[in-house]
Amino acid sequence: MPKSGERATLAKPAPNVLKLPYRFDILLKYVSKFELKMGTNFVIYLALGALLCLSKVQAEIVNLNVERSLDLTSQLVRATTKISTEDTAGKPISEYVFFVDEPSLAYISVKDNADKNVQIRKNELAKGEESYTLTFPKAAAKQTFVVETVSSKNILPHPLEIRQNDKQFVKYIGHLHFYSKYKTNSQKTSAKLSSSNILSHTQVKPFSVASTKITFGPYENVEAFSLEPLVIHYENSSPFVTVNSLERTLEISHWGNIAVKESIQMTHTGAKLKGSFSRYDFQKEARSGQSALKSYKTYLPASASGVYYRDTNGNISTSNMNSGRDFIELELRPRFPLFGGWKTQYTLGYNVPSYEYMFSDGNKYQLKMHLIDHIYDNMAIDEATIKIILPEGSSDIKLSTPYTISRLPNELVHTYLDTTGRPVISFSKSNLVESHISDFTLYYSFSKISLLQEPLLVSGFIYIIFVFTIVFLRLDFSITSHSHKE
Amino acid sequence: MEVMKRYVSPVNPAVFPHLATVLLIIGTFFTAWFFIFVVSRKNSKESTLIKELLISLCASIFLGFGIVFLLLTVGIYV
Repeated sequence: MPKSGERATLAKPAPNVLKLPYRFDILLKYVSKFELKMGTNFVIYLALGALLCLSKVQAEIVNLNVERSLDLTSQLVRATTKISTEDTAGKPISEYVFFVDEPSLAYISVKDNADKNVQIRKNELAKGEESYTLTFPKAAAKQTFVVETVSSKNILPHPLEIRQNDKQFVKYIGHLHFYSKYKTNSQKTSAKLSSSNILSHTQVKPFSVASTKITFGPYENVEAFSLEPLVIHYENSSPFVTVNSLERTLEISHWGNIAVKESIQMTHTGAKLKGSFSRYDFQKEARSGQSALKSYKTYLPASASGVYYRDTNGNISTSNMNSGRDFIELELRPRFPLFGGWKTQYTLGYNVPSYEYMFSDGNKYQLKMHLIDHIYDNMAIDEATIKIILPEGSSDIKLSTPYTISRLPNELVHTYLDTTGRPVISFSKSNLVESHISDFTLYYSFSKISLLQEPLLVSGFIYIIFVFTIVFLRLDFSITSHSHKE
Repeated sequence: MEVMKRYVSPVNPAVFPHLATVLLIIGTFFTAWFFIFVVSRKNSKESTLIKELLISLCASIFLGFGIVFLLLTVGIYV
């Protein structure tokens, strides 16, 4: 067996399998071993050859083909990346590390070619780079999968300030090559823009421009971690509106109603308005304020009733409601057109019947509802806080969410006819987009008898008044004795 | 857990206004009876305490439920 000196050399190298010094150490170890045992040169050469072969074949994942399509038509960057990958040694691939090249990634989903969801695990940040480990349901030598990402704040207005009649130009800065840990054999990127008015874009051949679409590539044999920049400067007059804070309150009543209230604060985060705002120009000229937000549509559940749209001043009358078969379309027009840098805030509320979202089994209840709902198309929410107000006396509360959220401490709220207060479950999540609209489930217990608490409370209060009357009438408050005795 | 039924209110929300009206009318009737009874009481020596308490109990129960259904009708979901 190797002596202590050899053990020391063995322990020295880093545990990285791909590093060469380590291989030599194994080699030496085996050589000495075989020398001791057999002493034949032939065997040494054999072992040496075999090891060299092994090191060369050592597992390496290569991206065979990568097709990226970027949707840059709105304020969000929607990237769909189709990746075909292969292990050069023919070993089955079960895990793949996907690097995210865009900051402020909002949403990621991975599907394999059978349209099944691939498990995603977020890795710890290393050098500020976000990466995810994908675990495939079936390990195979060749894997093909589609990664969909949505990120906000990656398309920035350029210039930063424009006048009322100017067009809004924006700049997208990304990577020309697919940012990957692995070598990429062939790749292609296509970008869909909102207009054919392209001021400039990265000119690395081959590329082609066809009205609103730019195709880059195919680029062959790109090394891992290639950081070639991709810049597209183009016209995008869609309003860049960000919801700074959304506070969604769901108040549950076991008398058959769920009251939804959304307090929204939004800012136009596109190019800021330079100079003064002219209402006359805005009304008269069609090209005035193209990137301003005039009105937008919010979709509510079809069963919503008692809808209100108001702010601190009161009702905002410039709204329209159209009932559809599957949803209610609400056309909201803020009090003023929203120009770059301008803010607005409002409250939108409605009631939905409980049978749509609540399920029960004896004393066990389940609430299944959208965590966030649609506010406007291509929405971006910076921070959302969701509060669920349960009826008084609810216990055993358990929450399950479709994605990770940060849970806030439970509170108690006192509203009409409350004694001890209603439990409030609250949680928050930052950087949300439309893809985040999905259901959470809240489990809790509530006894049906507690429902009688409120009417009995009112009855008790009235009864006390009656008893007080009875007592009061029996008391004699007269100062003098009655002159007319019966 | 998946066998849970959809939860419906123990009282159909469509009957909230009718229920509120009927209960409040009955409650008001008992209240009126109570006050008429108390005021027209001739002799304070008569033991009418039990009757007064019973009438007022009826009145308060009907009024209590009536008020809760009135709140539900107007949209204050307690």
